[in-house]
Amino acid sequence: MAAVTHTNEPGANRAPWLTLKYREMLEAWLFISPTFIGFLVFFLGPLVAIFYYSMTEWNLLSQQAAFVGLHNFNDALLVNPDFWHVVRNSVIFAVGLVPFNMALALTLALALSRPFFGVVFFRTVFFAPVVTSAIAWAIVWKFLLQGEGGVINQMLALVGIDGPNWLRDPNWAMAAVIVTRVIKMVGLNMILYIAALQAIPRDYEEAARLEGASRWQIFRMIIWPLLAPTTLIIMVLTTIGSFKVFDHIYQMTGGGPENGTLVLAFYIYQQGFKFFNVGYASALAIIMFVIVMALTLVQVMLRRKEME
Amino acid sequence: MTNLLLKNIEKRFGKTEVIRGVDLVIEHGEFVVFVGPSGCGKSTLLRMISGLEDISGGELYIGNRLMNEIQAAKRGVAMVFQSYALYPHLSVRDNMGFGLKVRKVSEEERIRRVAAAAATLKLEALLDRFPRELSGGQRQRVAIGRAIVGNPAVFLFDEPLSNLDAELRVHMRSEIAALHKRLSTTMIYVTHDQIEAMTLADKIVVLRDGRIEQVGSPRELYENPANQFVAQFIGSPRMNILPAANAAMLAPNSTTPVTAKSVGIRPEHIAIVSSSESALRGKVALCEYTGAVTLMHVQLPNEQTCLVVHDKNEVPPPGSELGLIAEPANLHFFDQKGQAA
Ligand SMILES: Nc1ncnc2c1ncn2[C@@H]1O[C@H](COP(=O)(O)OP(=O)(O)OP(=O)(O)O)[C@@H](O)[C@H]1O
Ligand SMILES: [Mg+2]
Repeated sequence: MAAVTHTNEPGANRAPWLTLKYREMLEAWLFISPTFIGFLVFFLGPLVAIFYYSMTEWNLLSQQAAFVGLHNFNDALLVNPDFWHVVRNSVIFAVGLVPFNMALALTLALALSRPFFGVVFFRTVFFAPVVTSAIAWAIVWKFLLQGEGGVINQMLALVGIDGPNWLRDPNWAMAAVIVTRVIKMVGLNMILYIAALQAIPRDYEEAARLEGASRWQIFRMIIWPLLAPTTLIIMVLTTIGSFKVFDHIYQMTGGGPENGTLVLAFYIYQQGFKFFNVGYASALAIIMFVIVMALTLVQVMLRRKEME
Repeated sequence: MTNLLLKNIEKRFGKTEVIRGVDLVIEHGEFVVFVGPSGCGKSTLLRMISGLEDISGGELYIGNRLMNEIQAAKRGVAMVFQSYALYPHLSVRDNMGFGLKVRKVSEEERIRRVAAAAATLKLEALLDRFPRELSGGQRQRVAIGRAIVGNPAVFLFDEPLSNLDAELRVHMRSEIAALHKRLSTTMIYVTHDQIEAMTLADKIVVLRDGRIEQVGSPRELYENPANQFVAQFIGSPRMNILPAANAAMLAPNSTTPVTAKSVGIRPEHIAIVSSSESALRGKVALCEYTGAVTLMHVQLPNEQTCLVVHDKNEVPPPGSELGLIAEPANLHFFDQKGQAA
C-alpha cells in the first residue's frame, strides 16, 4: 500500500486558537459591524438616554437638568388630567382606524389578488398614497375638507347635505382624521394581504368548490383561517402605527379642535419641542412604549389562543 | 349503462385550442385512464368534467344530464388532486367532513360517514392529526377518503400518485384498484405513467395534443395500436419502428401490406439468434442489466438502434454481431401517416 503523505496545508502554521469557527465568527462580526454600530449609536443609545431623561426635570431652554426620580411618571399618570385625555384620544383613534383599515385592506386585496385587465392600475392607485409624503397628503385633504367651498362639502351639497367644517368640528374632526389616514395607509396592508392570498394554493379553493362550499364558506372556512398569521402581523403593525401617528395630526388639526384630536405622539412632541419639558416628554414616550408593547403582547396571545 | 358522455368537447384558453373535439363514452363503474404526454390536455379534460373549468364547445352528460351549465358542486363528482389539497388548518376528521359540513348534513350523519370512510381506508388512528403530521401516502389516503365521504357518482384523480416514491406508488396503486373493486364507482384517472394506466384501467384513453388517439382496453392498445403514436406510447421500453423492408428480414413468413411504410416491433418480442440465422443483423452497442432482463441496444446496418429485451442469462458482449428474429404476429405495420396498415 502506498504511504499517505501529508502536505503542509496553507493554514497549518496559523495561531492555534484561530480555528475555522473563530475565523468565521470574526468575519461575521466584521460584516454586521456597520449596522450594529449604527444600531448602538442611533437606537440603543437614545433609548437608554430617554430612560435617564425621564427621571430628570430638564428644561431645554435653561439647559438645567435635575434628577427627580419617578416624579414625571407620577405627574403624567396621577396628576396631569391632560394625559388621560390624550390616551383616550389615542385609543379612539386606534379603535376607529385599525378595524376600518384592516377590513378595507382585506376587501381590496380579495378584489385585486387575482389578475384581470387593469389590476395593476388599481393596485397602484390604492398603494400610491402610502408612498406619498404625509404632509402633502394632509395638505390636500385639509383643502378638500374645508368647511365652506371644500370639495367634499360641495359634493354633499349636490345631494342636499350641508356638510360640517370637518376638521374644526369637535364631533367630526376625529372621524375625518381617521378616514383620511386609513385612505392613505390602507394600501400597505392591502399589499400584505394580496401577497398572503396569492400564497394560498388555488387547489384549496377548487377542492372546497367541488365539495359544495359557497364563496362565503370558502372565505370563512378556508381563506380566513389561512390568513391568520398575516392578519396578526397586520393588526400589530397597524395598531403600533396608529399610536405613533404624528405628522398627519400635526398638519391636519394640530391636535384641535378643543384638543379633540390630541393624540399621544403629538402630545409628546408638544411637551418636548414646544414647551421644552424634555424630562416629562421622555416619561410620556416610555409610557407609550409600554402601552404599545402591552397591546402587541395581548394581540399575539389572543391570536395564539384562537388558533388552538 | 352509460355514465358519462362527452360529445365533441372543446376547450380554448383565449386563442389557444387545448382540447380539440373529444368524443368519449364511459360506462357505469368503469375505470378509465387518460394518458398522454405532458401538456396534451389530460388535466384540462378532467377539470372540464369536474366543472372547475368551463366547456368552450360540445356537450358533457353525466348520468343523462347535460352538465355544461351545472356548477361543479352539483355534478356529483369528487376529485383527488395531485397536491392532495388537504386544508392545512383542519384535522383529518374535519378535512374529510368538510363537504358534508358545508352542505349542512347533520352532525351524526357526518360523524357516521367520516367514520365509515376512515374505516375503508384504515385512517381511524389518524383522524385527529393535521395534514402536516402525515406522510405522503397517508395524505393521499386522506384525500381519497375526503372524496369517498361525499359518495360521488364519479371519482376524478389527477396524477394522484406522482408525489410519492416508487415503492409507495406501487402500493397505493393496488389500494386504488382495490377501492374501485369495492365501490364499483366510475373512476377517471389521469396519469402519464403508462404502467399505472395499464395496471389500473378498464379502458385507456390515449390523448395527444387535445385529441384522442385511441380508446381501448390495455390489451387492445398493446396488441392492436391504432397508430404509431399509441404503439410507441403504450409499452415499456417503447416499440421499435423500423423501415417496412426490415419486416421480411425479421420474420420471413410475414407479409408486408403494400401501404406499409414502417414496421413496429416491441423489444420484448425480438429474439436473439446467431448472425447466420437471421437476415437482420446488428452489432451490440450497449447492454443495460436490470436484474430479470437485460435491455440491449443493437445497432442495425442502417445506423438505427433497435432495443431488445433479452431474458436469457448469457448476454452477448458489446461489439458482438448477432441476428434478430420475431414472430409474424407481433409485427405492426404503419403507413405513410403513421396509421396502422
Ligand atoms: N389556464 C390556462 N391558460 C392557458 N393555457 C392553459 C391553461 N391551463 C392549461 N393550459 C394549456 O393547456 C395545455 C394542456 O394543459 P394540461 O394541464 O391539461 O396538460 P396535461 O396533459 O395535464 O399535462 P401534464 O401531464 O403536464 O399535467 C397546455 O399546453 C397548457 O399550457
Ligand atoms: Mg396535468
